[in-house]
Amino acid sequence: MNLLPPFDFHHVFVEPWTTEFASYGWVALMGFFVAAACGLVGNYLILRRMALVGDAISHSVLPGLAIAFLLANSRGTGPMFLGALAAGMVTTVLIEIIHKKSRVKQDAAIGITFSSLFAIGVILISKYASKVDLDQECVLYGEIVNISMDKPFAQIGSLVLGPPALVRMGVVAVLVAILIAIFYKELLVSSFDPALAFSLGINATVVHYSLMSALSIVVVSAFESVGAILVIAMLILPGATASLLSQRLPVVLGLSVLHAALSSVLGLHLALFLDCPVSGAMVVMAGALFVLAWLFSPNQGLLRRWLGARGELAEPVSEAS
Amino acid sequence: MNPMPVPEFKVVEPPASREPTPAPVAPVEPNPPLEIHDLTVAYHKKPVLWGIDLAVPRGRLVGIVGPNGAGKSTLIKAAMGLLPVSSGWVKVFGEPVSNNLTRVGYVPQRESVDWDFPVSVLDVVLMGRYGRLGLMRRPGRADIDKARGCLDKVKMLPFANRQISNLSGGQQQRVFLARALAQESDLYFMDEPFAGVDAATESAIITLLHELKAQGKTLMVVHHDLPTARNYFDTLLLLNMRVVAFGPTEEVFTFDLLQKTYGGRLTILSEVAEAVRQRG
Amino acid sequence: MLHISQRARRSFYFLSSILYLLLPTIAQAAKISEIGETSFTEQALRFFTFQDPAVRYALAGSMLLGISCGLLGSFIIVRRMALVGDALSHAVLPGVALGFLWNVSKDPVAIFVGATIAGLLGTVVVRWITDTTRLKEDTALGLVLATFFAVGICLIGMIQRLPTGNKAGIDKILFGQAAYLGAADVRLMAIVTAFVIVVLALFYKEFLITSFDSGFARAAGVPAQAIHYALMLLLAFAVVIALQAVGVVLVSAMLITPAAAAYLLTDRLHRMLWLAALFGLVAGALGCFASFLGPNFPTGPFMVLSATAVFGMAFLFGPRHGVVSRWLRQRSRAQRIQRENTLKAIYQVLEARDFKGESVSLRELAERRRETVEEAAMQSADLRRHGLATIHDEGNAVAVTPEGWQLACAIVRNHRLWELYLTNAAQIAADHVHEDAEKIEHVLGDEVVRELERRLAYATHDPHGRPIPSLADMQRGATAPERSREFIGYGKPT
Repeated sequence: MNLLPPFDFHHVFVEPWTTEFASYGWVALMGFFVAAACGLVGNYLILRRMALVGDAISHSVLPGLAIAFLLANSRGTGPMFLGALAAGMVTTVLIEIIHKKSRVKQDAAIGITFSSLFAIGVILISKYASKVDLDQECVLYGEIVNISMDKPFAQIGSLVLGPPALVRMGVVAVLVAILIAIFYKELLVSSFDPALAFSLGINATVVHYSLMSALSIVVVSAFESVGAILVIAMLILPGATASLLSQRLPVVLGLSVLHAALSSVLGLHLALFLDCPVSGAMVVMAGALFVLAWLFSPNQGLLRRWLGARGELAEPVSEAS
Repeated sequence: MNPMPVPEFKVVEPPASREPTPAPVAPVEPNPPLEIHDLTVAYHKKPVLWGIDLAVPRGRLVGIVGPNGAGKSTLIKAAMGLLPVSSGWVKVFGEPVSNNLTRVGYVPQRESVDWDFPVSVLDVVLMGRYGRLGLMRRPGRADIDKARGCLDKVKMLPFANRQISNLSGGQQQRVFLARALAQESDLYFMDEPFAGVDAATESAIITLLHELKAQGKTLMVVHHDLPTARNYFDTLLLLNMRVVAFGPTEEVFTFDLLQKTYGGRLTILSEVAEAVRQRG
Repeated sequence: MLHISQRARRSFYFLSSILYLLLPTIAQAAKISEIGETSFTEQALRFFTFQDPAVRYALAGSMLLGISCGLLGSFIIVRRMALVGDALSHAVLPGVALGFLWNVSKDPVAIFVGATIAGLLGTVVVRWITDTTRLKEDTALGLVLATFFAVGICLIGMIQRLPTGNKAGIDKILFGQAAYLGAADVRLMAIVTAFVIVVLALFYKEFLITSFDSGFARAAGVPAQAIHYALMLLLAFAVVIALQAVGVVLVSAMLITPAAAAYLLTDRLHRMLWLAALFGLVAGALGCFASFLGPNFPTGPFMVLSATAVFGMAFLFGPRHGVVSRWLRQRSRAQRIQRENTLKAIYQVLEARDFKGESVSLRELAERRRETVEEAAMQSADLRRHGLATIHDEGNAVAVTPEGWQLACAIVRNHRLWELYLTNAAQIAADHVHEDAEKIEHVLGDEVVRELERRLAYATHDPHGRPIPSLADMQRGATAPERSREFIGYGKPT
């Protein structure tokens, strides 16, 4: 039983950049935009210990999408974003209601909410599959390869930009980067020290809800290409990998984008080699990059630990002398 | 046991005005309830306790005081084997603590537990008996009666079948005490039992502690409030990452030693301590 | 009143589950043969009485997984490990794929072993990450969850391209399809569920103490670490057997939701375990049935929605903690206090005129309570509904019944006793005690009142000089002449 296809170097490494560039180039670019946008936002989820919320939102946008598409009878950007925002709001409100009004704790409240919403979404799309044009597997891991078939390409004037989904994702990614740059201070302070943020006049609630909204938008834009589960991966992996390599937030943010680029390109090659879903391959490569960082990190790496630096304790200087 | 690697440290010159360490509390007995040697505990390479040496005689009611972050909770947790140590050892009645756990009772901080947990007050106190039952054995009639007895001692028997979330702070503390009593131990570790309780509970606890002491038990109590420490305990351990002083309260509760323990942060209490000192 | 409804609810559950289990035997005796019924109820009946052999396995399997998920989910809830359950259920996917490859057929044991190994590996990796780096637990869990899942997706994609085909069921692993459960699957599920039940029963107290207070447990010598790993192992088992019917993505919901519903209905862990198992069973069965109603419906989402429905019912209508129940209780308490205040006002109006005349006009009542006549009328009507007063004079006057009189005296007594206590024992000035007494008067129980009376040496007058009604006064009734003559208060023989 031969699981691995025969390795064709030409097919795997050369074609995507030459003859097949028309299809695969977009794929790599889309992967990069998705991973970059998710990774940037995901850094703040990591800082605020909200990885579970990221998990939740990426599942619960599904019914919002399905209902929006059904009602609007189109798969355009408008209904998509509206559906996602509405779903994000409903999720947050339901979670609050459950854990504030009963003794169920927050983690269980999150789990109950997003899984029921996701279940509703799955039922909707399996019943109205033809109308909504999403199928169950696609929802989980997307089908990024189809992006080049998403015609007609968007264009401004006579400049052809590319598949609409790609353009949308690119815009979202750039917007996320810009917003993070503009609100860098506010995000930083409210993530580390809510009390200080309050005294500086930064409304932590506004920051929180804005972050949730940005998250919903990013998630829903990425949904079609990478699907629910892999969005979570892209939210966490770039930031986690980067934070193993540096302690300074600007460097971490930059490294996240680099990680996104590497994992999408390498993932493409891996998918061509193994003949498996591209999004899955991208996450696998992202994970491999994480393992590399984990091994070789200058401060926290495993190799460091094993080879030496047992870490002698320095005597604390006496305070009371 | 791994030999401790020689640490790099800078030599700290002892300050010129160093006070002589107080005379030992009593002739050291052969198997003291608690004996600690050169204990060092670190968290992510930052030391929390450094070189703790301690021998506690039987029948003492010891208050452990020090500023926040001094390592008081860490000390008792490390003494019970709940935390990994970087160096040193702990012996309870002459044996490594893991061999002698039935002789050790524990009252953790109230915040360490989720009070919404679906158990009754009696269930919690019964847990004190679990250490003596083996795996798979159920608590029997005798255990239940003992548990009820302990509840009665802390005046919580009417609450036996109530779920624990409907209790006030003082009542919760008493339930924890009853659980420790049910352990029928000889050495007790208590982590801030007086924090946030009402006056009635406070006096009930102190009465109980004195009773235990009269029965020959040894008690190590982390305490958060300096002024009351003087009245409650017959022995004090002043801790700030190291042992600053350990001995009878009258000898140890002096302005200079307290100053050393709390550093500059003693200013608020300096009047108290000063008045205490003047009163002799 | 609410106690009865809780007991009724419990007996209902108990009886219906008994009935449920008895039905198959009854149905076997009366073998209804062929398909052909179209109505919903007929379909339901046929389904739940285990007629169709294919249905039998699906239903049995769904109920079994519901039980084990409910039991283990209870510990997830009380240990606040919901994310761990989620991560574990996603991390098993590559193990499932590899187990599938082992035999290229759907060998349940191979899949079971592969999935369990993958799940445990995931747990170990999470622990390793949190121990060696600065990353926090939730980040590590999310990371492992997504990466392992992606590896699984890739493997499944590769399997689906295999020429040898026969990937029957592997594509159903994502959202579950109970219809594909066969005899071997159900056998495995039964063994695992039985194992889970036995382990939890044998080591119940160890699981209990380590879930409640692991620090204390370890200090007492209970092996908390071992229990934790045992729980992880059992959890992996429960997840794996649930995979085929519920699907990888939604298994964690089957772990959390039935147990959360149970959490809201009881205050004891052992009862929570029973309820969680029951709710899991019900959710499994209902989900299985619902998915049979349509062609190719995945089972997982329907099971989750059934579980959520049960949770919703418990959340809203749970007798002790339900939102609606609490609201109703508050409302009825507020109404009781209103009634008592009205009665007190009537008493005070009567007292002001030395208890001459039986009835109090609505206007006097409204003045005393500082409200409108309409409001006074409404409250009098409420009193009448509860048998505490009667309306006279074409609706313009109200008089108390004997029961009403007793209650009025009791309230006034509580109020005045408390005022006296505050002024004497607590030495609060007489003009400051009224507010306090207004609130306390409604909640003083009999024991406390007797204690107060004792301490106050059966005093007869309050700080303002007004008489405190005694038991004798209460029993005498609201007839005016006797009251005004022989109003004695405490301490004197009648």
